[in-house]
Amino acid sequence: MADTQPSGPNPAVADQFAGRRLIERGHSRFLEHTQNATGIDIGACYQCERCTNACPVARYMDIKPHQVIRYTQLGWREALMHSTTIWVCLSCEMCTTYCPNAVDVAGLINHLRNTAARLPIRPAEKELAQFHQIFLEELRRFGRVNELWLMATFNRRPAILKKKLKDGSLKEDLSLGFNLWRRGRLKLLPHRSRGIGEIRKLYRHRRGESD
Amino acid sequence: MALSFYPGCSLEGMANDYARSITAVFEDLGIDLVEIDDWSCCGSTAAHSLDETMSVALPARNLAAAGEMGLDIVSPCAMCFNRLRYAQLMLKRRSFDIPWQVDTDFAVHDMTRFLAAPDMLAQIRKRVVRPLANLKTVCYYGCQMVRPPSITGYTDFENPQTLDAIMDAVGAQVKDWSYKSTCCGASIGIGRREIRDTLTNRILDKAAHTGAEAIVVSCPLCQANLDTVPRRPGAGRLPVFYFTELMRLAFRPAAEAGWFRAHLTNPLPLLNTKGLVAA
Ligand code: SF4
Ligand code: SF4
Repeated sequence: MADTQPSGPNPAVADQFAGRRLIERGHSRFLEHTQNATGIDIGACYQCERCTNACPVARYMDIKPHQVIRYTQLGWREALMHSTTIWVCLSCEMCTTYCPNAVDVAGLINHLRNTAARLPIRPAEKELAQFHQIFLEELRRFGRVNELWLMATFNRRPAILKKKLKDGSLKEDLSLGFNLWRRGRLKLLPHRSRGIGEIRKLYRHRRGESD
Repeated sequence: MALSFYPGCSLEGMANDYARSITAVFEDLGIDLVEIDDWSCCGSTAAHSLDETMSVALPARNLAAAGEMGLDIVSPCAMCFNRLRYAQLMLKRRSFDIPWQVDTDFAVHDMTRFLAAPDMLAQIRKRVVRPLANLKTVCYYGCQMVRPPSITGYTDFENPQTLDAIMDAVGAQVKDWSYKSTCCGASIGIGRREIRDTLTNRILDKAAHTGAEAIVVSCPLCQANLDTVPRRPGAGRLPVFYFTELMRLAFRPAAEAGWFRAHLTNPLPLLNTKGLVAA
């Protein structure tokens, strides 16, 4: 599955990288901080690229999995934070499983994604980031996640609605939804957990708010 | 025997056919599934991707409730299983602070591995009334149930065998193939549809190429994905069964199995030609 040929540089990303490799001198403590925060031995990597070869979506990434390791070693934090990689990664764990040096590549990418989510930067894959956020928001509302409501909330976002109307995918969504409903696979009303209070408290604590 | 059961959100909606077949099969096997009281969502990929702490805290609420019951947990969903196991491991290591007292002295099983234990397989074989002979299947495990092995406990993660063993026990033909645990891309199907379509279509192509007539899965997301992904014109579709649906078919050939109607790719013509359902 050596799907690693680049799909051609994304012009936006190429722009953003123009000169970066020279300019971004790297955060000198980034490697150390990342290793401390994750417990991953990032120095153990010898750039064999096995992770990238095992990755089913490497061709859709601007920074390939083995390069993520290298960038981290070099302290190229900004490039990583603005990469498509951290959002495109499926957490399928192929890379980690096949690394000969037991470098937890998937864990590192997930850590970077967690970090980017807390920063006021525009994610390179906006819809992927938004979908995760909406999922957590639905969970906060009900304690469980209802697929129909999740999709409806997602599709109601103005930017997403506009795009989906334009490329026709809204129509596809609706016809699939209708088909699923006819077959009894959509639960129309969400279930609200009795323990919703405890769950919302978790969210408040995570946001640094008090009870 | 009793187990505590964590169904997960999908089993209330998209995978309610899976839920119904699980209830039926466990009744047949005489095992009590006790649903965890007021369970809540495990956080799935979203919590993991955006907030690692929440990805431990959210499952922990369910682990705490299960701990009070003092039974092992069985989870039918690959994603929930992975998140529950991960959270349990983190809590054992005391890596995260959570507001519940969690006693983690119980096992979290994925449903296929629980049923593929030798004594369970013997029970299953005993209950088969009409073996699914002639039905050529491939088993598809997906990623979250088997990887990473340090969390899931699968030592045969390159070539997992649990579904294969269960399908063999109910008499189906199981074909070997190398896409058992290749990711289907379900988790980014919403935001980047074309990536999901490419990955999923490849799996469907390979299954057909292997000579399978049906795909057997245990993960609700994989099922939804394989069953509903748009195919390019001319490429065929294969019915995608939950393993419990086929178990029940072997246990009670005559019983009405309403859940087959929930599939988008209608499996009845295939079952019909195999003489497994009445026309
Ligand atoms: S597989 Fe491991 S050692 Fe090889 S490049 Fe990837 S992280 Fe480095
Ligand atoms: S976890 Fe991410 S980077 Fe690793 S193989 Fe899977 S998709 Fe690629």
